[in-house]
Amino acid sequence: MVRLSNATHAYGDETVIENLTLSIDPGEVVAIIGPSGVGKTTVLRILALFLSPTEGSVTFDGRDVWSLSEDERLKLRRRIGMVFQEASLFDATVARNVEYGLRVRESWTDRLRDELWSVVGSNGTPAAVTESLDLVGLADKLDQEARSLSGGEAQRVSFARALAYDPSYLLLDEPTSDLDPRNTDLIEDAVLEAKDRGIGVGVATHDMHQAERIADRIAVILGDGIAEFGPAEQVFENPTDERTAKFVSGELVY
Amino acid sequence: MPLEQVVQLFPALADLPFREGYIRSIIYVSLYVSVTAVTLSTLFSLPVAMLMGFTDFPGKGLVKSVINTGMGFPSVVVGLLVLFAVSNQGPLGPLELIFTKEAMIMSQFVLATPPITAISLAAISGVSENVRDAARVLGGTRLDVALVVIKEARYGIATAILAGFGRAISEVGSVLIVGGNITGSDGISKTRTLTTAIQLEARQGRYDTAMVLGAVLLALVLTVNAIVVRLGDEGAMR
Repeated sequence: MVRLSNATHAYGDETVIENLTLSIDPGEVVAIIGPSGVGKTTVLRILALFLSPTEGSVTFDGRDVWSLSEDERLKLRRRIGMVFQEASLFDATVARNVEYGLRVRESWTDRLRDELWSVVGSNGTPAAVTESLDLVGLADKLDQEARSLSGGEAQRVSFARALAYDPSYLLLDEPTSDLDPRNTDLIEDAVLEAKDRGIGVGVATHDMHQAERIADRIAVILGDGIAEFGPAEQVFENPTDERTAKFVSGELVY
Repeated sequence: MPLEQVVQLFPALADLPFREGYIRSIIYVSLYVSVTAVTLSTLFSLPVAMLMGFTDFPGKGLVKSVINTGMGFPSVVVGLLVLFAVSNQGPLGPLELIFTKEAMIMSQFVLATPPITAISLAAISGVSENVRDAARVLGGTRLDVALVVIKEARYGIATAILAGFGRAISEVGSVLIVGGNITGSDGISKTRTLTTAIQLEARQGRYDTAMVLGAVLLALVLTVNAIVVRLGDEGAMR
């Protein structure tokens, strides 16, 4: 379980999130919803062990992450995948992009040997790369240059790249906000497939319908910390917080 | 050596007072000095550019101004400073580097470093933060992230290195001062480069030899610049 406890984060004087508590278990999808600018990205970056909260704590399987050494933290960080709102692919082929997470986990001697081999000819593609591209329906684009992909394809490659090294948790920051319905469907299906494999998924989204479609639990953030965190049905049908009720019914518009 | 064969193809050139191996030795000294200087300068400039691209430190603006000023620094002045450094009374005097290739490498290092650093810095700063974040979030260490940035900026960095090489191989002022334009008693170049040889041959009225050397130098510089332009185009298409 990855858990934020009473986390606060401030950039200088500006407090972005305040006193937030939420967690993601293996094999569930947690949607983090709320209006733009409320700090959803910051929450994900903290969950990805990318950013330390200015107050409060982050635990990964019960271990306090920010009291560990940098090496220990890197080990934990490597069990988490993250996909940004923009695809952020490297200027290389699709296969090289998806391989990246596997490559950085290899020893330097293996990496050097692979680099040298790749000059002579192809190394062959690791099965994990083909499998995760297959999941997003792009196994046929292995050798294509990433910059020649459409926006939707690039985002799906980005998803496959985060999944290829078999992370325990996957964090998605508005993964479909720039995508058409078909690509959105493909990503959502891949999220559910990842969940079935036992991966814990955190999705930040401002799309209530998406949250309803894929989430088991929902955290609603409204300006000053969590307004509600609970099972999806409860948040949608029987919210305990008045503002949540307004937000999910679309009345509360920021 | 193809050059001698080329010379034999042109009867007018065959009469030139080339001593066996003279031109070859000049080209060798030129390339040895400039390639070494640019290699060392790249090894120094890239980490500096990375550091300046990704970290903030007090005096960063000043360092940037110094680098930019260095791009236009007159090579004779660099030569003079290096001469002071390696002369008997200078701080590096005991190493006895005066009138050696090593001293020439030092002065070309000083000349090539500002353009290589400045152009690399521009290329590295152009790599989007998203790409850096992606490398880190996929499990990359700091070193992995640095390697990704270098890879993403490869066209700009290659341009920087070649620009540095172009400056080094074509400058005459500093190598003349610190190298001394020396040949051995056998007439083979010790510290004579293409540029200093041209300067000498022209002064002594051997315009034909100067022209041949000039053509060789021009061909070298043109090749390098053609590659720079090509890389620039390829980088821009991305």
